[in-house]
Amino acid sequence: MRELGRPFWYLRRRRKTVAAEVDEELQAHLEMRAEDLRAEGLSAEDARREALRRFGDLEATRAYCRRQDEATEGSRGRALAFADLGQDARIALRSLLRARGLTAVIVATVGLGIGATALTFAAVHATLLRPLPYPDSARLVRIYTDAPPNRFRFSVADYRALEEQQTVFDRVGGYTERPMSWSDGTSAERLRGRVVTWTYFDVLGLRPALGRNFTAEEGRPGAPPSVIVTDGFWRQRLGARPEAVGGPVRLDGTDHALVGVLPADVGPLEQGQEFFVAARWDVPPRKGPFLIITVARLREGVDRRAADAELRAINRRIFPLWRSSYQDERATWATMDLKTHVVGDVEATAALALAAVGLVWLIACANAGSLLVARVTARSRELAVRAALGASRARILRHLLVESALLALAASALGVAIAAAGLRLLVTQGAPYLSRVHEVGFGAALWGAVAALTLASAGLFALVPALHRSGGPVEDALRASTRSATASPAARRVRRLLVAGQFAIATPLLVAAALLLASLDRLARVDLGFDGRAVAGGSIALPAGQYADGAQVAAYWEELERRLAAIPGVEGVAFADGRPPAEVGNFNNFDLEDAPTPAGASQPVTPWVAVTPGYFRLLGLPLVEGRLFDAHDGTDPQVNTVIVDRAWAARFFPGRSAVGRRLKGGGCTECPWTTVVGVVGEVKYAGLDQPDRGTVYTPMVSRTIEGPVDPSAARFRFALVRAPDAPAAALGGVRQVVRAIDPSVPLTNAATMDELAARSLQRPRSLSRLVAAFAAVALVLSVVGIYGVMAFYVQQHAREIGIRVALGGRPRDVLRLVVAQGMAVVGSGVVVGLLAAAALARLMASLLFGVGATDPAAYAGVAALLLAVALAACAAPALRALALQPAVVLRAE
Amino acid sequence: MATAPLTLVPGTLDLLVLRTLARGPLHGYAVATAIGERTGGELAVEDGALYQALHRLDRQGLVEAEWGPSANNRRARYYTLTADGRKRLREETAAWRRYARAVDAVLEGA
Repeated sequence: MRELGRPFWYLRRRRKTVAAEVDEELQAHLEMRAEDLRAEGLSAEDARREALRRFGDLEATRAYCRRQDEATEGSRGRALAFADLGQDARIALRSLLRARGLTAVIVATVGLGIGATALTFAAVHATLLRPLPYPDSARLVRIYTDAPPNRFRFSVADYRALEEQQTVFDRVGGYTERPMSWSDGTSAERLRGRVVTWTYFDVLGLRPALGRNFTAEEGRPGAPPSVIVTDGFWRQRLGARPEAVGGPVRLDGTDHALVGVLPADVGPLEQGQEFFVAARWDVPPRKGPFLIITVARLREGVDRRAADAELRAINRRIFPLWRSSYQDERATWATMDLKTHVVGDVEATAALALAAVGLVWLIACANAGSLLVARVTARSRELAVRAALGASRARILRHLLVESALLALAASALGVAIAAAGLRLLVTQGAPYLSRVHEVGFGAALWGAVAALTLASAGLFALVPALHRSGGPVEDALRASTRSATASPAARRVRRLLVAGQFAIATPLLVAAALLLASLDRLARVDLGFDGRAVAGGSIALPAGQYADGAQVAAYWEELERRLAAIPGVEGVAFADGRPPAEVGNFNNFDLEDAPTPAGASQPVTPWVAVTPGYFRLLGLPLVEGRLFDAHDGTDPQVNTVIVDRAWAARFFPGRSAVGRRLKGGGCTECPWTTVVGVVGEVKYAGLDQPDRGTVYTPMVSRTIEGPVDPSAARFRFALVRAPDAPAAALGGVRQVVRAIDPSVPLTNAATMDELAARSLQRPRSLSRLVAAFAAVALVLSVVGIYGVMAFYVQQHAREIGIRVALGGRPRDVLRLVVAQGMAVVGSGVVVGLLAAAALARLMASLLFGVGATDPAAYAGVAALLLAVALAACAAPALRALALQPAVVLRAE
Repeated sequence: MATAPLTLVPGTLDLLVLRTLARGPLHGYAVATAIGERTGGELAVEDGALYQALHRLDRQGLVEAEWGPSANNRRARYYTLTADGRKRLREETAAWRRYARAVDAVLEGA
């Protein structure tokens, strides 16, 4: 019982009292001595004098004792405080372990909240807040052609003009994706790589770890091909041999001189790439195609607006040069932060995820606070007894604080474990969602978030019971009877407020989950436009080195078609340069004969897919009007034919027939007219969540195609087979055939159409699952909260209920009374929550598909769900109380 | 009774206080009277020295001080022997016995 009455901060005031204590002790001694002496017969005055005489040197003793005591305090003070804290911790731990269920619920829920919130914050921090890991990255921008709503890449013509005329950038560079087949002589692999300008690494500030950067010489047209590879490529495929630098690397059948190897640590733009081939772009004959992503480093001190102004000026200057192949006069050049380009449009997703986990943490804390208020209330007799035995209010408060701190620490430890597990999941699975996921780690951001959340949690669930405790004198609790003592109005108010808060938080979370799930449902039910189960295939790109000649290319495709058709179970074979639901080959602009685009305006743009005649039958696309392609289409350069889909026909020729209409594609003004010969059903090419805006099909022929399409397109095709019985097995056959014809030609992205459709739903699915899981946690916590409050209420009023029933009150009236109490709390929370949801849901509009942010069904459904579950949680304890015999309840008092 | 009380051999007061407290917690005055009764007034112990010893022992962690009510309902500071104090008492008692025996042996044999 030592030190029971001494709060921990009291030690600081002890120095003053040391002197007083010594004085009091010595004074008491002298008085006791004098009393005894008087009892022996001495006079009061003599007794006092004799006591002093026997004491000896009073002042010296007083000073000595004070010195000793001060030294004792000094040395023992801290140890004492720690010993007390240790004692408090032991007591708290014991009492928490006694309430195992409560402890488990609080630690698990708050721990989940801390872990998930800290990890999400760390991810958002690494992705959105931190600058790109390039030197002086604030000066890095991407330059693009701005033709709202589209942002187009640059063409070689654009890039050349920019390079020659700009004065505001230190350096400009560009890249374009170019997967290539790498061969070590025996087998081939298709690898992700890029064609980059020789300035590219200079712009970003990257230096090869081995070898050197590209030189201007290597970027000239006609120079021998050269390549810089990543550290991973060098280690895995070149055996990490330093002498590999300078040697040849065979890509697409051509030897490239290896000039450098990048360091292991590269920036987000280089992630996932294997090699970088130096661009040797020739002077272009026309403006397109637009394939280059342009990056640039602003000159020191140059304002972004000045840079934009110069870019606009250059664009205007070169516009007349390319009028024959490019007419969009409104399109301008503009810049954006390179970070925005890298990170992409993830702000809404990130904000939603952060809000979801943060709200779950908050709701878990509110739940913990509510449970702890109930615990303190239920323990008020115990605490009052302790107070009566001499524990100061400060000491009891400290006990409660230590309990909260222990809970927060345990939750924090669990949170770190959850964050660690989540981090592993994020790094392995999160790459498609966050471009900079490899930069997320157990860094300062994560630890800082954990620490802040732990402190806040401890504070949140300590403050509530502590504030409430210090409200009334403890003696009242002792004096009053058990019944009313435990239900102080303040405690009740605090708890109800917390539970209402839980519902107010859970509602927007559930609304968000409902909206996302509804979107996902709509997405999953989007009509693909074809029977996906029967079709499978993959893409093939013939290496330019080995297939330089058009005849060779044609021979390969013919041989492949013949062998694919011979696979058992395959009913049909077709080739195309695009594939549903999300791999569109090309977009192309065009001008209609009947509705020419005025000079200076943007021409319409739609997906532009080259297909072999069997394609439509293979996918089961219905012919709506006109005819399908036959063997003659595309063979005569003077007779161009296309097939359009229903959406295209409805968009450009509403209510009229599209067959026979004529157009000129790719901004080509000199070309002969292209005629629409047929209309087929729609298929998604740009993703399931994109509306059908029309598609144009061109005949695919086995010779090098001239015109608007990239010449290399002849070497690239999707090979598709129809095998209704076993598409997956047929896919294995396709792989075998491709390998058998030429082992150096790999088949990539092989999948059945069903798999592709499922894959394109992965992102919305995982987001909605995440939010739904957190919403479910919030729902459960809220229901636990209201159940706890009502169970407690009923327990406190058991006597009253018993009397009412005994006096003939109808159970239904009692039930209604009790339930109304609880539903008032829930209802107010839900109303506030719905208002908050309506305000917040607008922020997630970009993540929804086919559902409005204020979809009444979602809001009504969530409110109904919450009220129904809460109703059950309120009614259950009341029904139990009513089931008791009144006499039993009354006797128990 | 006529002989003057003996002055204490230096260092023995702490031993006497520890021994007195071994029977249970006492306040300072009770320690003084207990020592006085035990020695029959043979040893001259000044009350001031006694308190200095008590506070010194507290400082060394051999005793523990705590306020409590005295027999006649006065607030008094009670001293309790700690585990360290008990250990020290055993050691000092043994040392004193050896010392006394050694001195005795010399005196007897003279």
